[in-house]
Amino acid sequence: MFAALPGLLYRKIVDMKNILITCLIIVVCMIQGQAQFSKATIQASGLTCAMCSRAIDNSLKQLSFVETVQPDIKNSAFTVLFKKNETADIDALKKAVEDAGFFVAKFAITGQFNNVAIKNDEHVAIDGKEYHFLNVQDQVLNGEKSLLVVDKSFVTSAAFKKYTAATAMQCIKTGQAGGCCEKAGLSAGTRIYHVTI
Amino acid sequence: MKYLLFVTALLIAVVASAQPKIGTLSPEITLKDLNGKDLSLSSLKGKVVLIDFWASWCGPCRKSMKHLSAIYPALKTKGFEIYGISIDENKDDWKKAVAADRISWLQVNEDGGWNAPVANLWKIDQIPTSYLLDKQGKIVARDLEGRQLEAKINQLLKD
Repeated sequence: MFAALPGLLYRKIVDMKNILITCLIIVVCMIQGQAQFSKATIQASGLTCAMCSRAIDNSLKQLSFVETVQPDIKNSAFTVLFKKNETADIDALKKAVEDAGFFVAKFAITGQFNNVAIKNDEHVAIDGKEYHFLNVQDQVLNGEKSLLVVDKSFVTSAAFKKYTAATAMQCIKTGQAGGCCEKAGLSAGTRIYHVTI
Repeated sequence: MKYLLFVTALLIAVVASAQPKIGTLSPEITLKDLNGKDLSLSSLKGKVVLIDFWASWCGPCRKSMKHLSAIYPALKTKGFEIYGISIDENKDDWKKAVAADRISWLQVNEDGGWNAPVANLWKIDQIPTSYLLDKQGKIVARDLEGRQLEAKINQLLKD
């Protein structure tokens, strides 16, 4: 019975440690800048009119974080509104379009930014995800901003070529961190979203 | 529980099999028109009717309606009517498009977009989708366009 006590005490200390680490991570993330993404604007292409098909609408609405899908005839795009306080998954949105038999021609994600400092051709962590900004001026993002995702299969192949030329880093080709950035705490294979403004 | 499952499955089967087919009588449709008043498909009995599913944000639909606008006035005097069903979720967008394209035929709108009850029943997977009904309300053809559509309407008007 007494032998169990040190064990319990030890567990409590470990719990405390975990809480401290979690707090630390939260603080670090806050320093890195915050953004709450609220919607995506997606242009889909294919052999037939993408908006005229039930398939994409259905496919997007099945994602748990999607609130509504509105067709926008002016930009021939879908406006996808996210549920509040839910994290949108950019890759899942792209996959939903592809599963419906179309491909993404343009993909913008819009959100509220709070002191997010960005530099050209550098990685920034926003809400726990890595973003690599291309063709931008160094600046601090505040208020509502839209980011254009320029990863492979998020833009036309001609546009992708253009953005590939904008960086010497290899991650643009795969959308993932290479071995280069492990010192900076980014393990190889981490998803990196390449974006521009 | 098992019984409930069985009933659900049966219901789904019934709904699925109820999809209107060519050669069968069209089910009744009652939706709100531009003035918010009920407009039934059955009120058009005795006329040759084109049921046209569309939406303001559907480019090909708007284009096909240009052709309908050209043939509609002459055919209307012979007993032809168009029952246009918009699946716009935003009623203002629907009304604006009707005004902008100067659509003079019957227009109704259904809440719920793609998943609205009538669109679901008719298994509308893409728009434009249209069904042509004869004077008795029987479904004769689906998705006819251009001259083929005009010829078929004229033939049905003579029956």
